Amino acid sequence: MEMSARVERAVMTMNEPQVVTVQYQSAVRGNVDPHLSIRHYDPEADMMLLHFGPQHPSTHGVFRMDLHLDGEIVVKATPYVGYLHRAVEKLCEKLSYVQQTPIVDKNDYVAPMTNEQALNMAFEKLLNVEVPRRARWMRTLFAELQRIASHLLALGTFSIDLGGALGGGSTLFIHTFRERELILDLFEEVTGMRFHYNTHTIGGQRHDLPAGFDKKVHAALDIIESRIPEYAKMTVDNAIFKDRTVGVGVLDGKLALELGITGPILRASGVDHDLRRDAPYSAYDELVPRVRVETAGDCYARTRVRFDEVTDSIALCRKAIDGMPEGPINGYKPIRQPTMAKATSGQVYVGIETPRGELGTFVVAGGDTPTSPHRLKIRSPSLHALAAIPYIMPGATVSDAVAILGSLDPIMGEVDR
Amino acid sequence: MAVNGSGDGHKRLPVYDESELTYEHPLYGAMLSVPGLSVGVTSIDAILNWGVMNSLWVFPMATSCCGIELMAAAASRVDLDRMGTIVRATPRQAEVMVIAGTITVKMAPRVKALWDQMPEPKWAIAMGSCAISGDFYRNLYAVVPGIDTVLPVDVYVPGCPPNPEALMHGLLRLKEKVALRRAGKLPPRDDRPDRLQVTKPSVARFLDPARDPAIDEQQVESALHATDTDRSDEPAAGEERASAEPPEPIASSQPSDLEALLRDEFGVAETAPKDGAPVVAVERHVALARRLRGMGYEIFTYVVATHFPEKTGKAPAPERFELAYAVRSVGKGSKVASWRLKLAPGEAAPSLVGVYAGADWQEREQWDLVGVRFAGHPDLRRIMMPENWDGHPLRKDYPADKACPPWR
Repeated sequence: MEMSARVERAVMTMNEPQVVTVQYQSAVRGNVDPHLSIRHYDPEADMMLLHFGPQHPSTHGVFRMDLHLDGEIVVKATPYVGYLHRAVEKLCEKLSYVQQTPIVDKNDYVAPMTNEQALNMAFEKLLNVEVPRRARWMRTLFAELQRIASHLLALGTFSIDLGGALGGGSTLFIHTFRERELILDLFEEVTGMRFHYNTHTIGGQRHDLPAGFDKKVHAALDIIESRIPEYAKMTVDNAIFKDRTVGVGVLDGKLALELGITGPILRASGVDHDLRRDAPYSAYDELVPRVRVETAGDCYARTRVRFDEVTDSIALCRKAIDGMPEGPINGYKPIRQPTMAKATSGQVYVGIETPRGELGTFVVAGGDTPTSPHRLKIRSPSLHALAAIPYIMPGATVSDAVAILGSLDPIMGEVDR
Repeated sequence: MAVNGSGDGHKRLPVYDESELTYEHPLYGAMLSVPGLSVGVTSIDAILNWGVMNSLWVFPMATSCCGIELMAAAASRVDLDRMGTIVRATPRQAEVMVIAGTITVKMAPRVKALWDQMPEPKWAIAMGSCAISGDFYRNLYAVVPGIDTVLPVDVYVPGCPPNPEALMHGLLRLKEKVALRRAGKLPPRDDRPDRLQVTKPSVARFLDPARDPAIDEQQVESALHATDTDRSDEPAAGEERASAEPPEPIASSQPSDLEALLRDEFGVAETAPKDGAPVVAVERHVALARRLRGMGYEIFTYVVATHFPEKTGKAPAPERFELAYAVRSVGKGSKVASWRLKLAPGEAAPSLVGVYAGADWQEREQWDLVGVRFAGHPDLRRIMMPENWDGHPLRKDYPADKACPPWR
């Protein structure tokens, strides 16, 4: 499908803005062809190549972009990943099924709970294990608490990316990390760890809720809820914040779908899709979440979706902890050694909705030993989110490039694995 | 020269030679050559050390999870600012490099370059098990087994990840060491803590036939006493073993209209024996994807290449590659439609980039890691491994612990 798109760039001269129009030939649908060589660009332009990353505080980890700049305008962005490729999939082929939970914790290190959940749900499907109702509710509670913590972190780091707009840059970061600690305290009480919990197992949970946990959850949620108007003043209702984000990095809904983007980024582009509601797992058939959709598809919409999801998740957590059923927390026989879960054949895929989108695990059983998989692949939402960069970055200024990257909220651990 | 932890069965890499890095200032040499001035040098040192130890500016070499704890340490609750430690984003303004997270062979040269940009005197803190020893990634092809093989480390902060309080303790330990600095001589470096002595090693790691037996011998020797296999949990012979039998074939998640489509239009008779997904002829594959996209399966979910090596013995099978594709429908009742391709070694699969742009990076990843070519892909480069990498790591014949000098 050949189509041409025009990217307009405004070059501010001393006297008046001069609009230069550049012709792009696009082989892939969308506005910009990410594979187009920069040699096709206007040869008269004053070009500069800026290496952005892999060590840069705004890259959210070790991510590198080559930004081809015309003045201050990005005309082509080439992302490079793999600086944190830790060979997790190879390692999972070597380890047995029950040993892999602590490994995948480190993939999306901002939301380890959902990593564990995605992996163990795939193994449960492979081994035909039924999860008891209490364990399913606990998973839902943990996933929603994790969503709050993850979105708070995303909001805080995004405010650093926007820099001086928000009172010296790090003010909101300090605020959201204060509230994030409350969630981590709750998890620490259940599992003993601030993150990397290793609490999901095949068939249920490893640690039951401690006595009086519901009161602590409510107390923590009360504090976070009371601070939300304060965050709103600093972000979504803030005029400076809007100036920096509205209309920046617009991602079309059709393109987002085609790129495989899921989660808040897809919903911010006007697509009503959330696996918690559309393909319910764990206890989401009983605790139906509200799905927030924005239509603009810009950085503001993405922040707005995450911001509203914090409120929704608080309500969902309250419901989950109040209605927490009694009963066993694990439906599988107690696992005392790594060789106890065995599967000789089968290929399964399970995808769940993490704070970043659809995190899936594809398992091919029947490795060298029946206790380990032949192949394990983790389908990470952040990989697809970063793949949008060549499409939405051209036309933005360098400062907007940082805002766009921050609004995609990538976690390099799960991009590179 | 310090040696890596003694219980580590992995082949030992020399730790960075610290004698090269002794901090010498020409002024010191001149002053020390004058008799009687050494007292003055000591006083100057004390004053300088007092200044440095109370304003340790940190350069965050944050690569992964420990970086989040480093951020938490700089944030409200722990607040490193109150001990004069602030985070600087450029190496030229910092004294301490905190290596927080796993260092891979692709990242290690960058870390070294950044370390060389820091002005003397400089210090390094290895935060977390990955930076200390590579932790459970240390025997894998992509990971540097400890940052002290790349640059000299002063303080080790163990943990996975260490709490912010632990990092603060590490900074206090560094303050003690800064105070010991005299006349340009750096204090002795800490030894790497040995984690294997307290951790039960994995059993499955020994089952890889491709591993060098010499490595295994060392590891088995150090590890066997720790893996006392308790067989009391195994069910008795007559008892039903819940998981020993092959599980039931997984119910196919294909909607009925998809089955009709595959049967009537694409003429697929064969299905993958294990999970019921249809095996599609290579030449019809792109047409099927285009058709599914028109049917509302708009999200590209995954492509997974699996390498099945040649099998001999009872059920011989030639070497082959299997590609699993899946796309997802949007909105309520979202469903996954999946299909398979079977490829001989060296055969290329038609690329889906023209239908789903999201296949771009996924196909690059499968080419990089498994070595399956995608015909018609506009930009089939390596994505995870460095450009000059040799081989495709997720193939079954690729050793997991392949060396990559000089980094591992």
